Amino acid sequence: MGKLQLYEVFARRQRADRFEHIGCVEAPSSDLGRVYAWQTYDEAKWFEMIVAPRDAFHCVNRAEQPFTLHPSEEALT
Amino acid sequence: MTEGRKGYAKPADLPDDVRDHLGSLLIVLADNKRLLGMRYSDWLLGAPALEAGIACSAMAQDEWGHGRILYAMLRDFGYEANQLEHEREASEYRAMELLDAPAGEWPDLLALNLLLDTALSVQFEAMAESRFEPVHYKVSKLLDEERFHFEHGRGWVTRLGGTDAGREALRRSFRPVWEACLRWFGPDGDEAGRALYEAGITDRDAAGLRARWLERVGPVVELARLELAELDGGGSGVWLSRVEPSWDGWDPDVRRAARGGPDAEMLARVRGDKNRPLLMD
Repeated sequence: MGKLQLYEVFARRQRADRFEHIGCVEAPSSDLGRVYAWQTYDEAKWFEMIVAPRDAFHCVNRAEQPFTLHPSEEALT
Repeated sequence: MTEGRKGYAKPADLPDDVRDHLGSLLIVLADNKRLLGMRYSDWLLGAPALEAGIACSAMAQDEWGHGRILYAMLRDFGYEANQLEHEREASEYRAMELLDAPAGEWPDLLALNLLLDTALSVQFEAMAESRFEPVHYKVSKLLDEERFHFEHGRGWVTRLGGTDAGREALRRSFRPVWEACLRWFGPDGDEAGRALYEAGITDRDAAGLRARWLERVGPVVELARLELAELDGGGSGVWLSRVEPSWDGWDPDVRRAARGGPDAEMLARVRGDKNRPLLMD
């Protein structure tokens, strides 16, 4: 079975908008990640929603992992 | 809508036999949507992952919404929507027999998700260009929502089918649902299916709908090696079932092979018995 992975979710309400980072989901495949994202973050009528595995992101200016809310989270991942 | 043919704006415009067949089909679809929504809702808590529970919640809401639209549409066919939604006995429901009892295990729910839900979508898709305008205008949004239901089922079946234990569990759960879904479209030459097709209400008859369903679910169950479908060996690209359904007891009016209906607990929930005093309209 596929390994569970975090997928970061981004969406925009209209074509002219910039993407907002709206959250993340955990899924065993990008297919299920897409489904979970759409069904979890359904609070708006999104023009476009995209997902990407968290480990596809690389921090530019800090030593910690991207999307870290608190330094202590580092120990959890 | 079907090119070059007049549309029907309301049921009264339809030929009598077509109106009867379409009204019956809409009740079948509404009941299946309502009860399938209930079965999804049984898994809001207890799904194998938090995200899967949220997905069940979203799919339940979609199904209830679709059911409600259909019950409301049936008013114009001479039915009383309130009676259909809140007053019927179990034996009057026309949902598939698969929905009479809860999906006890997660693979059972996946069978309903991938096979039964897709069967309903195939029936709706056949009305995307329907000459009956009220249905034609509703189908597009409904199918947009259903796309994610299919992808949920496909994602999970692909995942579980990747292990021996998961595949065995899927095989046990999928076999009865597979047979019931094959049967649900009706036998080749089914009278209602043919009448609706010839009137331009649907774009396929029973045999054509079954073929379209096999085209959708066949590749998924084959990838998971569930031994239910195979590609025609002649290279036609047509998907065939490896299983022939039994037609014993098949009743075309209710599109079921077994008498019955939702169990008592489900009947109370689906009719809203607990909140009956609060019903305002």
